[in-house]
Amino acid sequence: MSRRYPARDQVAIVGVGTTDFSRDSGRSELALVLEACQKAINDAGLSKDDIDGISGDIFRNEIVQSALGIPATGWSVSCLTAFNIQMTNAMMAVASGVCETVLVHHSMYRTPMLSASAAKDPYRRRAQTFMGVRRPQSHWPDSIAGEASVYAPWARKYLDTYKVRREHLGYIAVNNRTNARMNPHAAVSDPLTIDDYLAAKVLWDPLSMLDMEFPVDGADAFVVTTSERARDLPHEPVLIHAAVAGQTNRTAEENLIDVDHSSQGVVAERLWAVSDLTLDDIDLFYPFDGFSIITLKWFEEIGYCGRGEAGDFLDDSWVDSAGRLMIGGRVPVNTHGGNMSEGASQGSGHIREAVQQLRGDAAARQVRGAKAALITPGGFFFTPGALILRTAK
Amino acid sequence: MTADTADEDVFDRFTTEWIDRDNVEFLRGLLREQLLVNRCGACRRWYQPSWPTCPNCWSGNVVPTEVSGAGTVHTYTVAPKSQLALAVIDLAEQDDLRASGLIIDCDPADVYIGMLVELTWVTRDGHPVPAFRPMRRPREFGA
Repeated sequence: MSRRYPARDQVAIVGVGTTDFSRDSGRSELALVLEACQKAINDAGLSKDDIDGISGDIFRNEIVQSALGIPATGWSVSCLTAFNIQMTNAMMAVASGVCETVLVHHSMYRTPMLSASAAKDPYRRRAQTFMGVRRPQSHWPDSIAGEASVYAPWARKYLDTYKVRREHLGYIAVNNRTNARMNPHAAVSDPLTIDDYLAAKVLWDPLSMLDMEFPVDGADAFVVTTSERARDLPHEPVLIHAAVAGQTNRTAEENLIDVDHSSQGVVAERLWAVSDLTLDDIDLFYPFDGFSIITLKWFEEIGYCGRGEAGDFLDDSWVDSAGRLMIGGRVPVNTHGGNMSEGASQGSGHIREAVQQLRGDAAARQVRGAKAALITPGGFFFTPGALILRTAK
Repeated sequence: MTADTADEDVFDRFTTEWIDRDNVEFLRGLLREQLLVNRCGACRRWYQPSWPTCPNCWSGNVVPTEVSGAGTVHTYTVAPKSQLALAVIDLAEQDDLRASGLIIDCDPADVYIGMLVELTWVTRDGHPVPAFRPMRRPREFGA
C-alpha cells in the first residue's frame, strides 16, 4: 500500500532531444541546450507555442526561452542537483495544473575544474569566472570535497568494511563500456575488459580513471505534459509513475556517517513508499555512475541486495561471456553506457535512454517487451533521486 | 590559426565581459568599430542578443551582419555618473530591433523619444564602445 501521491501516472514524457556528446564541441553551451530543446519539441510533435513551462538547472531558463522564441510561459524553475528534481519539478507543475506542457533541459560543459585541457581553452576559462559562487559545505582548508577526491575515501571505506574486490567495481565499468559499444551516441566505445580495468593507473586511491565518469559537452531535453494529452501525440507515452528525491543532513563530505547512511537510503525509502510497482516489475535499471562506488551502493540501497552484499550480488549478476551485468538473468543495467562511457550527463542520459527503451526506439540496444524502468540519478551527498517510468499499456 | 589568435585578442581586450562562441563576433566587430547584429540566413530576421540559432525559425544559419547604426530613441534615462542619456534605440533595419547605448554630443535635456540618432564610438577600458548621437543628416534616413 503506497502513501498519498496524486501525480502517479498523471504526467508523461512525450519528447526527447539530445546533442552529440564530445570532449570539445567547439560550440557554446547555449547552442547545445537549444539544439536539444528544439529536437525535443519537434520529437513531441509540438511547437514552441505549446510550451508554457520550463524546468532546468545550470543554464538560465529565461535565456533558453528568449533564444527559442517561446512566447509565453507561466512557470519556470531551476535547481542545482543531479538530473532528477528537474523532472520531478516538471511533473509537479503539470500534475498541479500550474502549466500544461513543460520543456525540461540539462546541459554539460567541460569546465577547467573537470579537466586540465579544458583549463587551456580561453572560452572555458572565462565561463568559469561566471560559474557563480557555490558556498562550500565543508569548511576544512584541505577538505575531501571535490569531484574525484570525495568518492575515493568513501570507496576505500566500503572496500575495507565489506568483502569486495576491485573486480566488483570493474564489473560496473566494463558493463557500461560493453553497452556503450551498442550506442552510437556514446563518447567512449573502445573495448574494455576486466583485465584492462585492473591494469588502469590508480588516480585517487582506490579509484582509477575507469571508475569515474567521462566529462563531455552536450545537452539533453525533454517535453512533459499530461498523460491525457500524451495520447494524442506521435510517440508511445512514457508515464512518470513516481519521482522522488532524498537528502540527509550530513552534507559536508567528511561528515557522512558511512556509506550505508547516505542520501541514497532516503531516496529508496521515499520511492518505495509512493510506488505501486516493486523491483520485480522493473525491466531496466539505470543507477547513477558518476563513480563506480555510487553504482555499487545503489544496488544495495534500492533493494536488489542487502548492505554490504553488493560484491556477491555483482558476482551473481555478471555475465562474463557478454561482459555485462544482467540482474536475475533478466534486467540489464545502464543500457546506454552511463556517465562512464556514453558521457557524464548527471543522469539526463539515463532518463533519455529509459524513455527510448520504453518507446521501443532503442535500436540495437532495444530490450524487448520492457514496460518499466527505474532510474536513480545522483550520489551520496547532494539530493539524489529516483524515477520509475512505465509504458501506458 | 589566425582565428585563434584573434580570439585571444578579444579576450585580452574585453577582460570582464561574458564571452562565448555566440557573442565573440559581436565583440570582435566592436574592436573594428563595426556594429554586428545576428541575421538569420533562412528567414532573414535580425535579432539580438547574439543567440546561436534564430528565435523565430530555429535555423542555425546565423550571420553576424553589420547594421547602419541609424535608429530612433525608443526610451532613455540619464546615467548618474556620466550625466549622459542612456538610451534604448530602435535600429533602422527592422521593427523592434533594439540596441542600447549612451547618447553623446547632446545635452540629456534635449533627448526625446523618437529622436533620430546615428552610431558613433567612444573608447572605454581601451576598446571601442558603440554610442549614439543626434543624426546629422536626418533627411537621408527613414522615408
